[in-house]
Amino acid sequence: MVIPPAEARVYLDINAPTFVQIPIVLPKWNTVNKTPPTHTAKVYDILTNDLTLAGFFKVIDHSRLPSPLKEREGIPNPASLREWTSNGGEILLAGEALLNSNSNLILKFHLFDLVEQKHLVGKQYEGPSQLLRKMAHRIADEVVLQLTGEKGVHNTKIAFASVQGGGKEISISDFDGAEMKQITQNQSLNLSPAWSLDGKTIVFTSYLRRNPDLYLIDADGHNFRRLTSYPGLNAAPAWSPDGRKMALMMGMEGKSDIYLIDANGNNPKKLTTGHGNEASPTWSPDGRQIAFVSDRSGSPQVYIMGADGSNVRRLTYEGSYNSKPSWSPKGDRIAFCGRVEGRYDILTIGVDGSGLQRLTSNSGSNESPCWSPEGRYIAFSSNRLGGSKIFIMNANGFNQRPLTSAKGGESSPAWSRQLE
Amino acid sequence: MGNKGLVVLVLILCVGLLLTGCPKKTVVKEEPSMKKAEEPVTEREKAAKLEAEKELARIREEEAKKAKEKEFEKSLVAKKEPGIAGEVFESRLLKDIRFDFDKYDIRPGDAEILKENAALLMQYPKVKIQVEGHCDERGTNEYNLALGERRANAAKRYLISVGITADRISAISYGEEKPQDAGHNEEAWSKNRRGHFVILSK
Repeated sequence: MVIPPAEARVYLDINAPTFVQIPIVLPKWNTVNKTPPTHTAKVYDILTNDLTLAGFFKVIDHSRLPSPLKEREGIPNPASLREWTSNGGEILLAGEALLNSNSNLILKFHLFDLVEQKHLVGKQYEGPSQLLRKMAHRIADEVVLQLTGEKGVHNTKIAFASVQGGGKEISISDFDGAEMKQITQNQSLNLSPAWSLDGKTIVFTSYLRRNPDLYLIDADGHNFRRLTSYPGLNAAPAWSPDGRKMALMMGMEGKSDIYLIDANGNNPKKLTTGHGNEASPTWSPDGRQIAFVSDRSGSPQVYIMGADGSNVRRLTYEGSYNSKPSWSPKGDRIAFCGRVEGRYDILTIGVDGSGLQRLTSNSGSNESPCWSPEGRYIAFSSNRLGGSKIFIMNANGFNQRPLTSAKGGESSPAWSRQLE
Repeated sequence: MGNKGLVVLVLILCVGLLLTGCPKKTVVKEEPSMKKAEEPVTEREKAAKLEAEKELARIREEEAKKAKEKEFEKSLVAKKEPGIAGEVFESRLLKDIRFDFDKYDIRPGDAEILKENAALLMQYPKVKIQVEGHCDERGTNEYNLALGERRANAAKRYLISVGITADRISAISYGEEKPQDAGHNEEAWSKNRRGHFVILSK
């Protein structure tokens, strides 16, 4: 842990390859006035789950505390913080929930440093009780911000393709796996979702009209409409960082190439040349470059080119199959799927080709990596539990766990920006 | 030629007469004139016999063609895909081809199958088909869409090279998304690496 002199203490450098988890104590929340205790319990559960999912906390919830601490509710007296350190806790998060006269839910929380015996931050959120989940996630985000210097991802959503009958439909889930819902209902083959910049629209490929065409749908499932139907493939769409263009796979000339189109689907422009099969475009966060897969060398490998198709250079040289790159929003690394000893694993590599890291191993086949919006987590699909499921891990490979409790058939995750 | 054959021959000749409207003299004549015109009648007999045989062959060929058309018609099975538009059919007479792992070239045995498929399509010039390119489940979904695109187009190009016009064939890739066999072994995988034909219009 680094303690810079005149600034706020940085508790954790979560970008480091390994780190020690911060033990955080959460006493029971207090239920004030006529607030339904179920509200409070729900907020508490969401918070403890969020902080566990974040990957860098060791959560000590109230059931693991000795009496009388176990039964204490609400915000402790700052003068008596010392008594909370008995379980090895270094940070304490406490709060209370109440319904005000307008039937709005108010969530108040306070964060304390138990080691230095001081109050770090206190905030409150107010909103209709339907927004309970969102408000609880906000608190988790704040805690992560206070302790790591960067906001959390607890108010993000993940879209993915999910097997339904003979086809696949696009589904969305919250970062904690809750509120999962299917947003397409066309019984067709729907693939490769990608989020718009503002998190309101999803673009994807559908075979509804017996051709892999691009479609758009609002994130709430309304307003399903076709975007492109060029002959052959219209697949693997990726919005540019400024939202004005999309890169995608198109097969107008009898094989798959990377093309650019305007965000309204017009003006197709072929970027890749030569005789290879080209796939899976992903943008650098500054919008100047695109990484993609090409088998022009004889086997699928990850390449980088300028956003105008110029200056193509090969990135991966190890292994005979490297595919589905995803450029980190931090700009410095690219995640991809590589075949290692006959199985598929998630690897990351520096944009300059150095620092190859293997993040999964001996865990079935793992594909389709996708970064979280601030670049600290990676979602991917894995069949280690039987069927194909979406998994999430920290960017250093730590804390790999399934996104939802659904039984399987999930693939192709796409991560939204941090939503309000 | 037995009695029956003679009767058939006569019938055919009558049909031939009706069709051509050519006032040929019938074979049956009064004896005196028959005797007199013996040589030319033999020639004419020969010509008529040839004509009749040709006619018979032509009718048999038409009947065989109709029978085969019925066979093709009968072989058509509607393909039920609620989420994919269009009324399409499949026929066991249009056979699948297979591909090696990670490859899209047409192997010699599969070229023979494509030739047979082409021969069938030549007989039914109105039939339009779509060739589907499929992959096994290994590898990433998106790269497999590209591989499937190549497989479909390789089959399409081959069919064009043996004489089927391009406007009769469209190509589509399904990548690894529609396996024929849900197994996770080489037997299943090799079945899934295929080019498959559907009939869009007949």
